[in-house]
Amino acid sequence: MSDITAPPSVRALARQKGIDLEKLAKDLGRTSIAREDLEGGKPVGGPAGHTSYWDVDHNQFGPVTEEPMSRFAQVAAANLGAANALIPQVTHHDRADVTAIEALRKELKPEAQARGIKLTALAFQAKALARALREFPRFNASLSPNGKTLTLKDYVHIGIAVDTAHGLMVPVARDVDRKGLWQIATEISDLATRAQNRKVGPDEMGGASMTITNLGGIGGIGFTPIVNPPEVAILGITRTETVTVWEGDTPRPVPMVPLDLSYDHRAINGADAARFVSYLAGLIADPRRIMV
Amino acid sequence: MSDNHADLIVLGAGPGGYACAFRAADLGRKVVMVDPRATLGGVCLNVGCIPSKALLHAAEVIREARHGDDWGISTGRVSVDLDKLRAKKDSIVEQLTTGLVGLAKRRKVQTIRGTAQFTGDKSLEIDGTAWTFDQAVIAVGSAPVRLPGWPEDDRIWDSTDALELSDVPKALAIVGGGIIGLEMATVYAALGSKVTVIELMDQIAPGADAEAVAILRAALETEGVTIHTGTKVTEVKATKAALTLSCDGGYDGKIKADAAIQAVGRRSNGPQVAPEAAGVEIDDRGVIPVNVSCRTNVDGIFAIGDVTGNPMLAHRATHQGHVAAEVASGHAAALDTDLVPSVAYTSPELAWAGLTQAQAKDRGVDHRVASFPWAASGRSLASGGGDGLTKLVYCPETQRLLGATIVGRNAGELLAECVLAMEMGATLEDVALSVHAHPTLSETVGFTAERALGTLTDL
Repeated sequence: MSDITAPPSVRALARQKGIDLEKLAKDLGRTSIAREDLEGGKPVGGPAGHTSYWDVDHNQFGPVTEEPMSRFAQVAAANLGAANALIPQVTHHDRADVTAIEALRKELKPEAQARGIKLTALAFQAKALARALREFPRFNASLSPNGKTLTLKDYVHIGIAVDTAHGLMVPVARDVDRKGLWQIATEISDLATRAQNRKVGPDEMGGASMTITNLGGIGGIGFTPIVNPPEVAILGITRTETVTVWEGDTPRPVPMVPLDLSYDHRAINGADAARFVSYLAGLIADPRRIMV
Repeated sequence: MSDNHADLIVLGAGPGGYACAFRAADLGRKVVMVDPRATLGGVCLNVGCIPSKALLHAAEVIREARHGDDWGISTGRVSVDLDKLRAKKDSIVEQLTTGLVGLAKRRKVQTIRGTAQFTGDKSLEIDGTAWTFDQAVIAVGSAPVRLPGWPEDDRIWDSTDALELSDVPKALAIVGGGIIGLEMATVYAALGSKVTVIELMDQIAPGADAEAVAILRAALETEGVTIHTGTKVTEVKATKAALTLSCDGGYDGKIKADAAIQAVGRRSNGPQVAPEAAGVEIDDRGVIPVNVSCRTNVDGIFAIGDVTGNPMLAHRATHQGHVAAEVASGHAAALDTDLVPSVAYTSPELAWAGLTQAQAKDRGVDHRVASFPWAASGRSLASGGGDGLTKLVYCPETQRLLGATIVGRNAGELLAECVLAMEMGATLEDVALSVHAHPTLSETVGFTAERALGTLTDL
């Protein structure tokens, strides 16, 4: 018999919705599941969710059309709702000078073309994040369901949030701390392409140390991403902007990338988050230090 | 497409097959159901559950009449008109099988009498006529196992022959002390046979709780049934005068009998449908493996009931039948439970579901046990019910029920509460705090939970 209890009608509903009860119970830190837990999109486990807010006849205000939420989107919605309800999260904002990285990317462009690889800024950021995670092991960790244990990971895998036509997916690049930039860039590009085609295997998702969600190609000056459990933090990146930096009385234009780190405040405190992001920004500003 | 094409074809019209066919029809499918019998209902209705229950009811009436003296009620010598009893039993079977014909008609399920064999993964033959199909469900059931090395003799019966009630042998040997063997012992002992049950394992009703089985055994022995456990039949000789069974083990000697029933289990009828022609996997016991959704290894071909192996029980087949119909019609469904109740409709009845104490111990499951003896049940005493026991196995940490065994009058009915409790993940407290009517036998379930919690005041 399963260790998870759920009445037969709830098990049947879970099967119809394609929900794995064992996994859901684990995510919620519970041993029993009720019908309400399966009813999509609500912030499961959080304060009593009133769906009545959405129970509105929108037609009365003007013409509308309806389209179904795909099962994929419903699962993602339930997961995001649970993560947002269960994790006390704080977002720390900072930025990093990318002058050196941009120069290096420019310098390496002919070689990149020869290799047939697009050496993206994201590859540098992933590499820098991997180094920072080695330096700050508590950021490369997961809480146990009861919150009594912190599991520290002796590997560095980076999840890459990918915006696909069917919804958000997070394939994971493994052992990023032990790989070179060419390989990292190749793997991220490969994972992203396959995610678009829904060709990412289940073993290629999950197990990340931290996730990067990069909106740099689209825009924005900052946002507050939601931590992807069981990770303890997520790094958001938006578009690099050239800003004025004053060196004494001299204004200097510097390309800066905004960094937004949302973290689980149960595992990480604010000062540590500030130190972590500051260290990460230092690595990005001077990528030579990644090797040191 | 050939002229003979089925959207969904169900092979077998037993409790699995008809449940599947009817459910599929209710879901809007065009269904064809094939069965070699002249009547619908399979073994269960024709030569199994239902006729045996009719005879067991008769046995109970006979016993009640005989024990009436204690209550000051005299009936005189109880005599049985075998022809009338047989006719009554047959009329009950007929009523139910005829009812099924009506249910099939109402759903526009086409029924064909015949034997089907696959010729491909989308085709089969029914007595030589070619059919094609989109989906098929194998529900052809099982047949009694025949022991090797026994002579050919009309006095050697299987369960079907025993239910025919052709006569009441003076001395009856029953080989196999499982549910079927014990039910036959109950029937024929009441009808006046001197019954001897021979069981290979160390207890009758193997797999059931030993403490409960001891109560059943004592009751059967009081009714004059001789029981030999741990005993093997090594040889059977048929002479004009009698059958002689040579036994070895727990009982060492010869048993003379006027008839013998082989009740050593049932074997899947899987090979009869030529599953290999469709590429459907089948093992050396004739069992067709399926997943929780009743799918075989071949897309579009399902299997349900006894052909899918143990436990070979009608209610499991019925649930699987619904699952197969729903899955075949594009719904997500599964039989995802181990809680399939076992019931011996003996006197007293023996019923269990979930883990027994012994299973919990063998599997290293953390467990505790509580029980309530029916000698302390007012209702049981007031009904002249005889001995009984309600026993619950539970997890000491979560207090959830893991298993239930009940022996006593109506145990099969009483078990339903325990199964529902387990399916709902109920704790001892849930059961104890649910108000049970007084005086009822069902109270013993509540009492057992109270006893485990230390809140019982009836002991």
